[in-house]
Amino acid sequence: MVLALLFFVLLFSVLYPERFLTPLNFSTILRQFITLTLFALGPSFVVVMGSLDLSYVGIWMLGGILTWLLIPAVGQWAILVFPLLGLVTGFVVGVTQVRARIPSFILTLSLLIVYWGLTATLSGGYPRPVKGYEWINRPLIPYIPTPVLWSLPLMAVAVFLIKYTKIGVHLYAIGSNEEGAKLAGINVHRHKVLTFTLSGLFTGIGSVILFQHLGGATPVELNLNNVVWPLVAIVLGGTPLVGGSGGPQRTILGALTFSVVYRGLYLSLLHPEVIQLLVGLMLIVAIVIGSRGLREVVVT
Amino acid sequence: MAPSEPNVPLLEARGISKTFNGVVRALDRVTILVRRGEIVGVVGENGAGKSTLMKILVGVYAPDEGELFYQERKIPFPRNPREAAKRGLSIVYQEKGSIPHLQVYQFLFLGHEDKYEKFMRLQTRQMKKQAEEVLREFHIDCDVEALMGDLPLSLQKMVEIARAILTVRLEAGSNHLMPIIILDEPTAPLTIEERERLFQDLLPMKSNASFIFVSHIIPEVMKFADRIYVLREGRLVGHYDLSAERITEEDLFRAIVGRGSSEYLGKPVVTEQVGGEAILSAVRLTRNGCYYEVSLDLHRGECIGLFGPAGSGKSEIIRTLGGLLSFEEGSLAIKGQLVRPEESPPDRLRRGIGYFSGETGKELFLNWPIAKNISIVNIEKVLRKVLPIIDFGAEKRLAERVVRMLRIRTPGVYVDCYSLSGGNKQKVSVGRWLERSPEILLLEDPTVGIDVGAREDIYDALLEMKRQGLAMILVSDDPKEYSILCDRVLFIRAGKIWESMSIEEFRKTMVM
Repeated sequence: MVLALLFFVLLFSVLYPERFLTPLNFSTILRQFITLTLFALGPSFVVVMGSLDLSYVGIWMLGGILTWLLIPAVGQWAILVFPLLGLVTGFVVGVTQVRARIPSFILTLSLLIVYWGLTATLSGGYPRPVKGYEWINRPLIPYIPTPVLWSLPLMAVAVFLIKYTKIGVHLYAIGSNEEGAKLAGINVHRHKVLTFTLSGLFTGIGSVILFQHLGGATPVELNLNNVVWPLVAIVLGGTPLVGGSGGPQRTILGALTFSVVYRGLYLSLLHPEVIQLLVGLMLIVAIVIGSRGLREVVVT
Repeated sequence: MAPSEPNVPLLEARGISKTFNGVVRALDRVTILVRRGEIVGVVGENGAGKSTLMKILVGVYAPDEGELFYQERKIPFPRNPREAAKRGLSIVYQEKGSIPHLQVYQFLFLGHEDKYEKFMRLQTRQMKKQAEEVLREFHIDCDVEALMGDLPLSLQKMVEIARAILTVRLEAGSNHLMPIIILDEPTAPLTIEERERLFQDLLPMKSNASFIFVSHIIPEVMKFADRIYVLREGRLVGHYDLSAERITEEDLFRAIVGRGSSEYLGKPVVTEQVGGEAILSAVRLTRNGCYYEVSLDLHRGECIGLFGPAGSGKSEIIRTLGGLLSFEEGSLAIKGQLVRPEESPPDRLRRGIGYFSGETGKELFLNWPIAKNISIVNIEKVLRKVLPIIDFGAEKRLAERVVRMLRIRTPGVYVDCYSLSGGNKQKVSVGRWLERSPEILLLEDPTVGIDVGAREDIYDALLEMKRQGLAMILVSDDPKEYSILCDRVLFIRAGKIWESMSIEEFRKTMVM
């Protein structure tokens, strides 16, 4: 994966050095990278476990409008509504999924649409600018978007959780063979609730940064790219949608690769529509490769 | 705990009884004991009560009656697997135990990581070191960082067994407690070579643990167990000490399937032969590792039974005839036409051969009505002639015919299948294949797990079809089933046909 990333960087550098190898371009790549990472970090935990969480864009949208609504009442603290909303959403999704045994894909997709509808209703259909959080993306280091710096601790925590704690091992176990994990004495239901909650919390905290990063106004239009691209980043990074391997550390890599490739294509003379097409194809290829790796593993 | 004399029973379960739903007596005063460093075989047919007994020992079920003794001291029954592990009992399940994406050391400590946590961070180096020691102790040769899914299946099983022993040690907090590991049909997913490997690896582990080895594969149990308990219909019907007495596979087989009562004896069995020419003819079929030089001729209106213990190759033979497995040598002719070894089940269907297994045949669309479940596999019968649209009248008539033929108890053919009882579901799945009017029907355990009444209805429907010329081959665990359906029975052992008997001889042999 690292090799693929280097390959693309080299490829585009050779193809059009004067456009690709500029500080401005790199900071654009980083900006896109951080958007994807913040959206995809939490759901990566869920995907490792073999489920899917699509509610991230919903949390970001609804959280934005709630912040706007709350600012007159509580002032700057209003931004804390993001992590809170994420936490609650994740917990509710987790409990519902475990109790009602609905596929998490459908559940979170429905929730995304509900949140979108709520956002549109609460905002009256207009984007609402929110002032007062400009410090989040005030430049600190030249060419490095400040949101990247804010996100570093978040990424570190995510990678720590999956790689170095027993929660990580248990999530891999559940994603790999849920029945086996149960037989090994792991409380699968409790882990599912925990993981969805964790996913929501990560998205919530990430959305604080994203909110300012993506314009500081509350979005009212559901942008499909915001839903699909983080998924591409997760799968491209090497977390198969059926779970069992990968994780946030791979998602970070996937988001970086995706951003480089996307930027490289963008700088070429291709039509934007063609680029969309290629992104779609990339998702399919990534899924096929991801599932091939798993098919060789025999579950007994 | 002080080490005990080798002959003092380590664990004794006395007079265990268990009844489900107040009616089905799954276990009736069963007593077994396990000594230090022993492999104890527990054999019996499906439904003999083996699993129930094991589940009681590991705390999944509570017994209705019975007592448990550990080194001759009475102890309470465990209430859950964790309590069982504290008392030294742990189980390795037939399937689903391994977790392919975990590394070996992660799998060994799965669910017991707490000891290795420091500020939430797992001390992986320590875990790996500990895991290496464990593997060395049990003579398991693999890398602790390897993925479980990359190991051969027999090695995965060994790691699972090591994990079970480790679980006992961790839960009991002691290395001196002698674990008793229950192996629940551990070899079912393995090939013959892998089974051999597993047992060769298992024997040295007798110094670390005692084993209860649950199986219905006779040769295996005979080879590796020190003593064997035989269960039949919830009762202990045999106990053999292999070090003291010589018994043959036949003895054990007879003990497992039993002799005596048959409520079907009064029923006439149709034996009239219709055509003379074989509709299916196999000559010296061989699939290495499964069966060798199998030759048989099947005629119209005839039913042949392949009879033998599980693991004898009978399943592989019938699956080969059904196109689910390929053969390596020999030839197979159906209605005079030679078929390729690798032909698939749909090709066989086109030739008029149907394969039905009671295990897989339960795959009905449960949220669909009976009529749809029947028409989905007989779609050409319910399509209109001119335009390929479903003729609902024809669909209903078809379903009603099946319901009548098999006496399916239902208020109507548009009732969803999930509301039917197990036996009636089975009838729907048999019936829909009968409606395809195959010329040859291959049956594998066609009535497994259903009640007597439903069985009789299925037998009646099959016998009626047979009278009309249907040829059948049967593989089953139930000798009675052969005596009802078959005209001839071929005895299969170690992948070969040893004897061919008429049904009368068969009944005499089985003392029915």
